[in-house]
Amino acid sequence: MKRFIPHHELARDSRFVRQDNAQANVLATLPDDVDAVVEVFQKFAPMIEASVQGTAAQPLFEKYGPGFVLTVLNEPLDPDAPAGLTRLLLRMHGIFVGELQALEGAARSLWDFPDAPWEFKMNMARQCWDEGRHVQIFEKLLTHLGGEVGMFPESTFLFEAACSEDPAMRVAGVNRGLEGLACDVFRDMIRYAEKTDDAVMKQAVDYVLADEITHVRFGSEWVREFTKGDPDYLERTQAYRREVDKRFSFGGARSDREDAAIPIAWEDRIEAGFTEEELKELAALSGEGPSKQTLVEAARILRERYFADKASAGKESAS
Amino acid sequence: MSERMYPGMSADEHTTFPPYSAFDIPADLRQLHGRYDVEATARRVRNFRYAEEWLMMMLGGWIATIPEVPVKTGLGKIIWETAQAANEFGKRLPELRCGRKAVQTSEAPNNAFADFIQAVAEPETPNLTVEKLSGVFDVLIPHQVEVYERHNRETDAICDAPTIELLDHILRRKRQHLAWSEEVLATLCTDDALVARRKARTEALQAQLVASGGVTGKLGEAKQPNA
Repeated sequence: MKRFIPHHELARDSRFVRQDNAQANVLATLPDDVDAVVEVFQKFAPMIEASVQGTAAQPLFEKYGPGFVLTVLNEPLDPDAPAGLTRLLLRMHGIFVGELQALEGAARSLWDFPDAPWEFKMNMARQCWDEGRHVQIFEKLLTHLGGEVGMFPESTFLFEAACSEDPAMRVAGVNRGLEGLACDVFRDMIRYAEKTDDAVMKQAVDYVLADEITHVRFGSEWVREFTKGDPDYLERTQAYRREVDKRFSFGGARSDREDAAIPIAWEDRIEAGFTEEELKELAALSGEGPSKQTLVEAARILRERYFADKASAGKESAS
Repeated sequence: MSERMYPGMSADEHTTFPPYSAFDIPADLRQLHGRYDVEATARRVRNFRYAEEWLMMMLGGWIATIPEVPVKTGLGKIIWETAQAANEFGKRLPELRCGRKAVQTSEAPNNAFADFIQAVAEPETPNLTVEKLSGVFDVLIPHQVEVYERHNRETDAICDAPTIELLDHILRRKRQHLAWSEEVLATLCTDDALVARRKARTEALQAQLVASGGVTGKLGEAKQPNA
């Protein structure tokens, strides 16, 4: 068995649909400019349309056009909002596949780094069990909410972004970047569960959040250990983590901004070993994306153009 | 004469307490006898740890390449329990006069067994779940179970009791892993072709395992195929 596998080789059963990672990657680099956002999404429109065909995201595409993801990303989950349940399921499915990729990332660390210290292997082995349970938990929560595995396409960009071939960067990417994002998302899901009086979801996600804090702590400790006595290596690793954090901020959807869909879980992250300085840095870099106003306007234009194109295509076929 | 509470210095100055030992109830029939001395047990524990460590690593490598979600999640738990087994073996080594730093020591009994482990780890693509699981759960783990059980029967029951205790604990989990895999493989092998693939894989690796001498490298010497 070879060391290191590319993200497109992650094995899935027949329920899953794969989405091109380009769409997720481009979200991280969007400027605060309506025209630029519209241009990017129009360019990706055929790819987005193809990836949602036959999934629960297809009605969203048909209703909002290729910019439907912008409406999902830019508002906190609200049970009373239009398509509120679909958005909740979309996020829950995203968490489910994120846990799957976190399991795969932690497990590959056992095979990819055979000469790593034993305690590192023990931590990664423990994480495999935890992430395996998280996959089971979120599959059950998905069912609890009326969803099912494979109802939305899966992007493997979390694995792609976080799984470096360097051990310090791997733990920086998986355990601090990906698991840090998980802390933010789960704190937000707990808030949502409290708002909707969903005791099942609240308790389950609270347990998962406790596990994730431990995993981030593994990452904080192993980055320190792997880069001990080598400040240049530490700086390269931190730069890698910043890059991962930037990508995992989805253009500001996860940030400290007032309009963020997923706020940074400041207290949980402190408990997990992030420093105040690191969190201020995260807040700054994650807030750099387009504003809510920009995205709402871009989504409106994309929707209008989508319906205009559809109407014109309909006229052509009729004539 | 008053009751003597403490032994004196001369031969007739014994206490009045009758000889008694908790170990006499029930009578301790065990004998101080075992097939392995300290050195041999230490070597075997290093061998055991080698197999557990590689088993944990290969299962970790496979999770991303196995498409069936319940298999991925089931292996996550087995990885953790296998890591704990390797860890417990490591902690036993300093107790067997291997030095305090020996906790991370693993040792293949020979190159042939190391090659066998690499052969078990070889299947890679998503269409080979049956080959992956049969190598581990039809060949390697059943062999480990037999060797661990044999060690517990043959080692000194009193002197080597700490090894017996930890093997007992590991064996309980191994049997659970085998029960899980039996259900999984039965579900996966839905037609004759898949059953034949499982059988072929098992037979090929079993032959390689026997030729290597197994996890301790002693299969041939003992002339006991299940040793």
